Amino acid sequence: MAERLTLFRQIDEDAAKKRLQRLGAKACEPAWVSLWAAALGLPNGTPGAWLLYAQEMRRALLLVGTELPAQPTTINTELRIESGLPPSPEVLNRLWLWERMATPRHWRIQVLDSAPTSIWLPCWLGYHRGRHHRLTVISGLSGEPLPMLKPIVLEGLQQAYWNEQVSTSSERRRKAV
Amino acid sequence: MEGFTLFDTVVLIGYISLIAWIGSRFGKDQHNPEDYFLGGRKIPGWAIGLSVMATQASAITFIGAPGWGFEGGLERLVTFINVPLAMLVLILVLVPIFHRAGIYSIYELLERRFGSATRTLTALLFLIARGLATGVVLYAPALVLAVVTGWSVNLTIIIMAVLAISYTVMGGISAVIWTDVVQMFVLWLGALLSILFLVTSLPGGWSDVFSFGAASGMFNAIDLSLDPSVTYSLWAGLLGGFFLHVAYFGTDQSQIQRVLSSPSVLDAQRSLLIGGYLLIPQMLLFLFIGVILATYYQQHGLTPPENLNELLPRYVVSAFPSGMAGLVIAGVFAAAMSSLDSALNSLSAVTVRDFYSRYIKPNASDAHYLKASRMATVFWGLYATLFAFFAGNLGPVIEAVNQIGSWFYGALLGTFLLAILSHRSNARGAMAGLVAGMLSVWAVSSLLDISWLYNNTVGVAISMSVGYLVSLTAPAPSQDQLSDVIMAEAAPDMQAVLAARADNAEVIGKEARLTRRRCIGLFAWFCLMLGMLALLQGWANG
Repeated sequence: MAERLTLFRQIDEDAAKKRLQRLGAKACEPAWVSLWAAALGLPNGTPGAWLLYAQEMRRALLLVGTELPAQPTTINTELRIESGLPPSPEVLNRLWLWERMATPRHWRIQVLDSAPTSIWLPCWLGYHRGRHHRLTVISGLSGEPLPMLKPIVLEGLQQAYWNEQVSTSSERRRKAV
Repeated sequence: MEGFTLFDTVVLIGYISLIAWIGSRFGKDQHNPEDYFLGGRKIPGWAIGLSVMATQASAITFIGAPGWGFEGGLERLVTFINVPLAMLVLILVLVPIFHRAGIYSIYELLERRFGSATRTLTALLFLIARGLATGVVLYAPALVLAVVTGWSVNLTIIIMAVLAISYTVMGGISAVIWTDVVQMFVLWLGALLSILFLVTSLPGGWSDVFSFGAASGMFNAIDLSLDPSVTYSLWAGLLGGFFLHVAYFGTDQSQIQRVLSSPSVLDAQRSLLIGGYLLIPQMLLFLFIGVILATYYQQHGLTPPENLNELLPRYVVSAFPSGMAGLVIAGVFAAAMSSLDSALNSLSAVTVRDFYSRYIKPNASDAHYLKASRMATVFWGLYATLFAFFAGNLGPVIEAVNQIGSWFYGALLGTFLLAILSHRSNARGAMAGLVAGMLSVWAVSSLLDISWLYNNTVGVAISMSVGYLVSLTAPAPSQDQLSDVIMAEAAPDMQAVLAARADNAEVIGKEARLTRRRCIGLFAWFCLMLGMLALLQGWANG
């Protein structure tokens, strides 16, 4: 499998804090979500936009641009959330159909016939402390809220939490021995 | 009696010019509809709060409340005693959801939850109710101002309309809020000056007011009667007035738009807190002016004017020194215009967001929508002005306008609560509940002899019950439709995960306990106000 492309984080910490505060968050952290990017464009043309998607997403994300805005550096310490294997072409076509139906001016644009690119999408996670703890996900590219990513992020956070619990208990066991 | 002198006119014109200058200053930084309708979400909470207060203290407060105080003492205060509780519900339930949804018009939320038909219907009802009411908001003070200044009614209508339309068109919500802040202070200054002059003109000062008020039962604000036909009983105020104010502040675009324009949820809460704390004292202030005027009229053996709305303006013009009267009459202008500008901005927002951008010109540029917003403001301004011109000959229509509002708000609040609180409700139920809620308010107010304050309570109860029951006849909404109102992360195991992550994440903003403290403060304020009224009433009745 080709190496995963890391998209450039355009929303810095200060801007993310301001946006998340407006959405009611009290704490925040950066995160990366793995998604698949399919090129969009006119038939036999060059890509004009990208559809970002994963199996768990009910609605895909649209990223306008001829190329994916990649950054050369790799991710070190920040939270990484995997979204799994690439969905089948049927899933991709269905997701794109919903987007075309929602915006009729996209009707002529098609998914180009090329292999999907694996990417790391930069995000910011906002945590709200109230009667219930709540999560807000905003894009690290535009700062827009991304509610469609919440199921993937919640699952990823749960997985990270369990991994941490398991490693803590095995550490304790090792010390006890 | 000096009347409205040339110096008063100069003061009034000076004030009008100041407002026009402030309003026009905000026109320079408008680049897109978000700047125009939401002030780029940069307006501080305290300014928004004062603006909400200024809108609420419309001409009906400045002109009408002294008349109510003159007639019935403090009895109408129970209508406002519930405001801290209403703000508490708004802070906890409605505002976080509206703010997080990132919307311009609150009816957009109903579309996401129930589909486009519900949004279109509720937005249309808002345009009808608020559009007609705006004409009355313009006409009522114009009539009074015409009486005291000697100018023609049409001239006072045109002055107020042209001024309010101009600065709303140029400056959008920013102009509305910042001019409202100035107008709020002029309004209070006018009221305090009126009290000062009135009390000093009485031989015994405050003791005359208190002895006359106590002797004539004017301090009996709390009526514990359980009879639902008693208009201003404590129960009507608590149960009926509570829903009235939650509906008014929470589901009327002209009110909630200011909250949507706050930079954060905390700022949005602060803007409501100001109203929650200050609305009761403000109403008490204006009702007290009425009590003082009643004392003054009784001591001087005067006959009150037939239209009690003219009471305070007439006194001001006759008793105040030249120049001071001009300032207080400017306060009346301020009251009328602060209500008018908010109504125009919200009518324009709903017209463009809920109709123009959906049905006439979707996918246009931001610049185009900004232009369309300004055109819509002018349209609604002209509509209100035309309605105000003819309102004098349409007496029963004014009453009908108020009726439409009271039919509509309860049912609309019920629909919003259904959207937020019931995850089983769907589009069919919402539409049925909305229509049934409105019909039930109409039926109850025409067939039963109960206080009008209960209208909104009936509307909320019927629209929620019918809405829920009818929803059971159609499939439940999808998770996508619920995403704006439901918390997908509410599962107990997920809560532990989020709590652990939040503890290790970087803290932003202020502490979470602030909201809880604010709500406790509002509740304590409500108890304090009620206790003080009870003490005053107890003292007055020996």
